[in-house]
Amino acid sequence: MNSVKKIGKVLLSLSGVVAIWWLFALSDAVNPQLFPTPLAVWEAALELHQEGLLYSDLNVSLERAAIGFFTGSLLGIVIGLLTAQTRFFRFALNPFLTLLRPIPAIALVPVAIVWFGIGEPSKYFVISYTVFLAVWLNTHHGMEHIATTYLRAARSLGASRTREFFEVVIPAAAPHIVAGLRMGAALAFLALVAAELTGSSSGIGFRLQEARQFIRTDRMFVGLIELGILGALLDFIFVTMSRKIVHWEHL
Amino acid sequence: MSDLQKSNSNLQAVGCVEIDDLSIRFASPQGREVVAVETTDLRLEPGSFTALIGPSGCGKSTILNAIAGFVSPSSGSICVDGKAVTGPDPEVGVVFQQYALFPWFTAIGNVKFALKRFRLGREELQRQAHEALKEVGLGDRASAYPGQLSGGMKQRVALARTFASKPKVLLMDEPFGALDAQTRISMHELLLRIWDAHRTTVLFVTHDVDEALLLSDRVFVMSEGPGRIIDSFEVQSDRPRVVDQVDEHFVANRNRITKLLRQSHADSI
Ligand SMILES: Nc1ncnc2c1ncn2[C@@H]1O[C@H](COP(=O)(O)OP(=O)(O)OP(=O)(O)O)[C@@H](O)[C@H]1O
Ligand SMILES: [Mg+2]
Repeated sequence: MNSVKKIGKVLLSLSGVVAIWWLFALSDAVNPQLFPTPLAVWEAALELHQEGLLYSDLNVSLERAAIGFFTGSLLGIVIGLLTAQTRFFRFALNPFLTLLRPIPAIALVPVAIVWFGIGEPSKYFVISYTVFLAVWLNTHHGMEHIATTYLRAARSLGASRTREFFEVVIPAAAPHIVAGLRMGAALAFLALVAAELTGSSSGIGFRLQEARQFIRTDRMFVGLIELGILGALLDFIFVTMSRKIVHWEHL
Repeated sequence: MSDLQKSNSNLQAVGCVEIDDLSIRFASPQGREVVAVETTDLRLEPGSFTALIGPSGCGKSTILNAIAGFVSPSSGSICVDGKAVTGPDPEVGVVFQQYALFPWFTAIGNVKFALKRFRLGREELQRQAHEALKEVGLGDRASAYPGQLSGGMKQRVALARTFASKPKVLLMDEPFGALDAQTRISMHELLLRIWDAHRTTVLFVTHDVDEALLLSDRVFVMSEGPGRIIDSFEVQSDRPRVVDQVDEHFVANRNRITKLLRQSHADSI
């Protein structure tokens, strides 16, 4: 009952947006060539589908994002555990990573192309690097700020270092790690598009860039909507998953 | 020596805490040295219930944390059953004011965490954990997460967890400070019942005079700036003690402590 209501609300607000969009596109305020109607965008989507590009672009982009995301988060979690747990790593890596953090993903694209060429590896690099930074920072932060009473309780209850790590440190840091993964997933999309806009011959980002050359704003809108839907879906999946994983945070 | 005396002297060896010339200093953020505890001697008799009372900031928690092995002494020594304290040890259990239950484990999961050091079989682990929860009256809430329990219930789980690891010494730092008056009274009864059954040596930190006198055999009074023990005495009142039916010892002791605390407060300002 409740979820039916929710879906109803979402549909209502979406159709409102589409209606306003439509009215705006038809008004004299904008050139229809530059600002397509929802119908034109729908037709462009069908066209892309018939050309077999809609699905293949989606596939290519998702694969890049997924590979980059998994590599980046794995590295981020492992390095985060190391930098937070061992004084040596904290000392050696922290200043270095603090400097790397502000560098936007887009700025890395030219470097990645020189290093890895315009093939897949350069995309993986840009995406996984961006994801890595977010996940690493959150993991590190989460591990560093574990309430001392948890550690004290664990030790005075006779837990070994191994048990302390797996049964106290990891769960205590889990909410931060999960938040980092969620942020990483959103950033993976950002980095994906940045990497695809230049030096690529497939994917949603490339299709956007290609449409620019032909001033096909309707095709561009297809790409933008795809990105919007994908991002929202992904975030929904992450929120649902995090409710399962760190269920005690939501009591 | 009679048999009775012999078994008594065996008992005497368990849960004895001796503190000699203890002092604890911290570096303040400005780099100055803060003396939290100044040369203190303290002895907890095996199986006894001792209260440590004093104004806020006088170093009660610091002494307790030192016995627990969480902070190390700047000088002097702390021994539990003749062995110097070098770090946290399951022989010395701690009950924290903020419960410190692991929110990712259920009530029974928290108790099992403490039992794991005994390397029991699965069934025995489950049985003992359940037994411990039943002892604090929470047998039916075994699978609840701490986030689903009230403050009093949480502290009962924490008690069950700490007793499950079978400590010889139990340190409690204002364990009932966050609870309302009614809950506090039932927690006192529960604590005394479990203490009676396990006969652990208890050190109970509080700044509530009545709480100290209701629970303990012996009271240590501290003053601040720097923290030191200024008085200690036996509580003679008969058990069980009830807060609305106190005897003349109780009243005398209450006056004695209140006066001491007021004086030391007046001295420090
Ligand atoms: N880790 C620390 N670093 C620096 N100073 C500390 C530290 N721990 C305690 N102190 C200082 O030591 C003194 C005693 O603190 P302590 O926590 O033992 O007091 P307390 O008697 O438990 O007070 P309360 O009743 O408020 O809990 C205080 O002045 C406090 O600021
Ligand atoms: Mg304290």
